[in-house]
Amino acid sequence: MAGALSGLKVVELGEMVSAPYAAKLMADMGAEVIKIERPGVGDRARTRGPFPGGQAHPEKSGLYLYLNTNKFGVTLDVSRPEGFGLLERLIAGADVLIHNVAPPDMDRIGLSFERVRSRNPRLVMSSITPWGLSGPKREWRAEDLTLWSASGLCYVNGGGPDHPEMPPLKAFGQQSGFQGGVHAAVATMGAVFAQMRDGEGQHVDVSIYESLASQTELFFEFWPYMGMVASRLGQKPIQPLEVMECRDGYIYVCCIEEHQWRNFVELMGSPPWASEEIFSDRLKRGANWDALKVFLEDWIKQQSVLDLYRKAQARRIPFAPVSTMGDLLSSEHLKKRGFFVEITHPVAGTHKYPGAPLKYQRTPWEIRRPAPTLGQHNEEIFGARLGLNAARIEELRRTAVL
Amino acid sequence: MAKLPLEGVRIADFTWVWAGPYCTLQLAHLGADVIRIETRTRPCVTRMLPPWPEGKPGLNRSGYFNQYNQGKRSLTLNYAKPGALEVARRLVETSDIATSNFAAGVMEKLGLGYEELRKLKPDLIMISLSGYGDTGPYREYVAYGPAQVPLAGLSSLTGYKGWPPMHTGFSYADPNAGVHGAFAVLAALYHRKKTGEGQYIDMSQWECAMGLLPEGILEYTMNGREPARDGNRDPLIAPHGVFPSKDRFENTSIMVDMWVSIVAADDAEFERLAGAIGHPELARDPRFNSAAARKRNEDELDAAVSAWTAQRSAAEAERILQAAGVAAAICAPNKFVSEDPHLKERGYWVYLDHPEVGVRQHCGIPWRMSRTEGEVRAPAPLIGQHTDEVLTQVLGYSAAEVARLRAAGALE
Repeated sequence: MAGALSGLKVVELGEMVSAPYAAKLMADMGAEVIKIERPGVGDRARTRGPFPGGQAHPEKSGLYLYLNTNKFGVTLDVSRPEGFGLLERLIAGADVLIHNVAPPDMDRIGLSFERVRSRNPRLVMSSITPWGLSGPKREWRAEDLTLWSASGLCYVNGGGPDHPEMPPLKAFGQQSGFQGGVHAAVATMGAVFAQMRDGEGQHVDVSIYESLASQTELFFEFWPYMGMVASRLGQKPIQPLEVMECRDGYIYVCCIEEHQWRNFVELMGSPPWASEEIFSDRLKRGANWDALKVFLEDWIKQQSVLDLYRKAQARRIPFAPVSTMGDLLSSEHLKKRGFFVEITHPVAGTHKYPGAPLKYQRTPWEIRRPAPTLGQHNEEIFGARLGLNAARIEELRRTAVL
Repeated sequence: MAKLPLEGVRIADFTWVWAGPYCTLQLAHLGADVIRIETRTRPCVTRMLPPWPEGKPGLNRSGYFNQYNQGKRSLTLNYAKPGALEVARRLVETSDIATSNFAAGVMEKLGLGYEELRKLKPDLIMISLSGYGDTGPYREYVAYGPAQVPLAGLSSLTGYKGWPPMHTGFSYADPNAGVHGAFAVLAALYHRKKTGEGQYIDMSQWECAMGLLPEGILEYTMNGREPARDGNRDPLIAPHGVFPSKDRFENTSIMVDMWVSIVAADDAEFERLAGAIGHPELARDPRFNSAAARKRNEDELDAAVSAWTAQRSAAEAERILQAAGVAAAICAPNKFVSEDPHLKERGYWVYLDHPEVGVRQHCGIPWRMSRTEGEVRAPAPLIGQHTDEVLTQVLGYSAAEVARLRAAGALE
């Protein structure tokens, strides 16, 4: 059985996370993805790790190996005319070109929608850029942290009212890139439908900044609705929603609906303080968190994480443990669902990776091949697919176009 | 103007709170007709959370709900009353996609499980965005997005060095599941267009969030190590942090302190940074003249950068550093995002007149399309605003039948 996107042809000009993740989502669902990397060095994700044994090696970077499963890999210097010419030949036969070349570099190498459309009027070109293709910040430099910061997401996280000296805090990893990538995958698929219906392509301009600003929960709207700045130094609107310490680890205490709080109070043995007026609804518990916290800490520190998790869930209270990586890898639930997948790579060896983000009833999510080694499919794509002979490929390689 | 990509695609949206509504918001952005099935007996949680204008609650007044339900219609049903379930079933019959985000088994108990619904609509695509997925020993566990963040391992990796695990500050697992769910639905639609087959998609918010942590998970599977929390720092790059500025101002009851994030990704960018902060010699200083050296001496380096940022406003630091070609951005409070001229010029914001809260600034569509340019077509619906419209115009109920259903309490 083939994947849901079997038949979709994608060319990826991607580095690090955003465009590679968008193309991975498609490749893992059956699309054919040809990934183009810079000759010699390849995608910067190859330098990021983690590496087995901690030894940096371009074919052993965990981030790269995860983000590039199921892709064909070629090398091509698209900043040179011969290289750009080969890119044009690749996209002539593709449905989608997805890239995260920054706008100043797009201008420098001449990558524009007008130019690629002249080679393939059906082509969907998706440009994932930090700030978008227009506006005064179009050419601003950005990294994952600075985008998370600009969007407002850092400002609502950190040490809280008791620790104003601690800075706003980002989430672990490369989250801006992941969100830019998955939002681009959605927009790109929209453009693919329009392409199937109308036979015409278009240019999709995805801003990572806007993808992040679009998901600031209820925090953004505090400004236009109430003129309030939402801050890590302010109170949370409702409580309890906190990581708290048990005697053997951490648990997330979470009561959103009122019945969840009532059930939690019962689970604690209905202590007298819980019937105080200042704790009588979620907004009051938010406003009086300082007082509530003391009572809860006192009770929770005597509990064990897994026991409290089970007891809470038995009463339909959505607590969850603060999982370590080891907890995830040993989880019976995740084992039963087959979440982690083992992938064998010719250089990096065999390791377990995060698997399918969702399970399809009919069309499988599957690993058909590991991430490519640098230039692994040059002969297959430039030779067999585009018809370059061996001598020409050798010449392009010698001149570092490939 | 070309038709929108999903024009003519209808979604029977049984989701609530944030993950599911964020999923169907993306599909509404692409032109789908999203009909939310709500109930007044248990209104969507986001209708009952702030912010509300003047701080006055009201089911149609929350900025939280109004942000994530733009461009959708709302139908209210009370399944406990006769006739309500039949309305839901008829809606699915006329829809292409059904969405839900309850724990496993809940839709089945209502008589709205996939196996039932596919009898009505054989090529239906249905997605469940539950917390734990439909199989496995914890399938009936209840979940809320905020709890799935620590469950997925993000909290054990997020936080200051030497501090306890911390949250991401917002319910990240929700929009993450929602946007992945939208992609999954689109992939299933692609398959249906090619083969005529619908299908069921089982998504676990927990699993979907673990896909965002390859560096943490692979450090464990490759090397058996749990990565240590390290604040805003990066394993390879320095400086990589959030630095204090001199400006602050008061807003309601809090002090708004301003910070600026700065990253110099390589030697060339560090040289530009060193020049911009008036210390070009730092780029040649043996403590800082390579990525490895900067990482080794990161505390000293951060002190030098902080000494410069602390003397100016965050916006000024951002402007000077960007002019020099250095990745810097203020840690923006909502007010600053709201006022950013860049977003204004890109036409990102949506200003629609909502019957109860008037014209408010809402976040718009995070992409632009050159041919099928979309726009947010309507403000978020009032609860049950489109009940009559959907029953008569979409499902073919007569006015008398609608009146009978209403009298029976089925449309609450």
